[in-house]
Amino acid sequence: MPSKPPAGHFRLLYFASATSFTRKSSDELPAPLPITDLFRLLEKRYPGMEKAVLSSSAITVNLNYIDIEEASEGDEPMVIQEGDEVAIIPPVSSG
Amino acid sequence: MAEEPVPVQSLKEDGITVALTYKTLNARAIMDEVRSPKAGAIVLFAGTTRDNFDSKPVLHLAYDSSPPLALQTMLNIARSMKSKHSLTAISIIHRLGVVSIGEESILIAVSAPHRQAAWKGGEDALEDVKEKVEIWKLEEFGGEEGGVWRANRDGAVGEKVMDGYNGKNTG
Repeated sequence: MPSKPPAGHFRLLYFASATSFTRKSSDELPAPLPITDLFRLLEKRYPGMEKAVLSSSAITVNLNYIDIEEASEGDEPMVIQEGDEVAIIPPVSSG
Repeated sequence: MAEEPVPVQSLKEDGITVALTYKTLNARAIMDEVRSPKAGAIVLFAGTTRDNFDSKPVLHLAYDSSPPLALQTMLNIARSMKSKHSLTAISIIHRLGVVSIGEESILIAVSAPHRQAAWKGGEDALEDVKEKVEIWKLEEFGGEEGGVWRANRDGAVGEKVMDGYNGKNTG
């Protein structure tokens, strides 16, 4: 893995269709960020990404899968912190 | 991915090896990993790259991965298969990067005291790997078609890769 993201940022990793759509392997985005705002932010940066990529993708934070609906329930939704490593995981196709 | 190709990344524990590599896969080596005097059967599965998808010619395939996630998922599958089918040993290796047509992209070897468990364990492991492991296949068609990220789920066609990206490929 590359070096840590700069202060006040987290790193977002892209794979497969997410890499193709953004034409990047990663982004460094300002933290903290409520996880419920992540897709909105990405859709703004990369118009069309939500429908083409995100709607069928899973999310990991520090290598753990996050259930977005569960993470947004309650009074305090999960917040992505400075230094976290978040990844967009499109439907897999090994073999 | 712009990650530096590393020769082999692997996780090992008792009777289990899972690995990712950019090199050509070696069937003999993975059989030797699971070979044991306690086992009366070794089943080896070799997945090779096809030259077509829906009769469209494929030039080559390329595999992208999140290595830490993929290795952990492979380890979890191997543990679960070893216990479910009482396997003596199980080894799973997947190739990354560009793989030429007709070459192996995945090898799964399992050993067990008797053949039934080995057959079943091998098949079960492959299905689980294809469903869960964080590896992505790009089929390169060349020409205007370009590349398409395949999705194992539901036989989905996946996303087309091209200049002037215009959203979903209805294929």
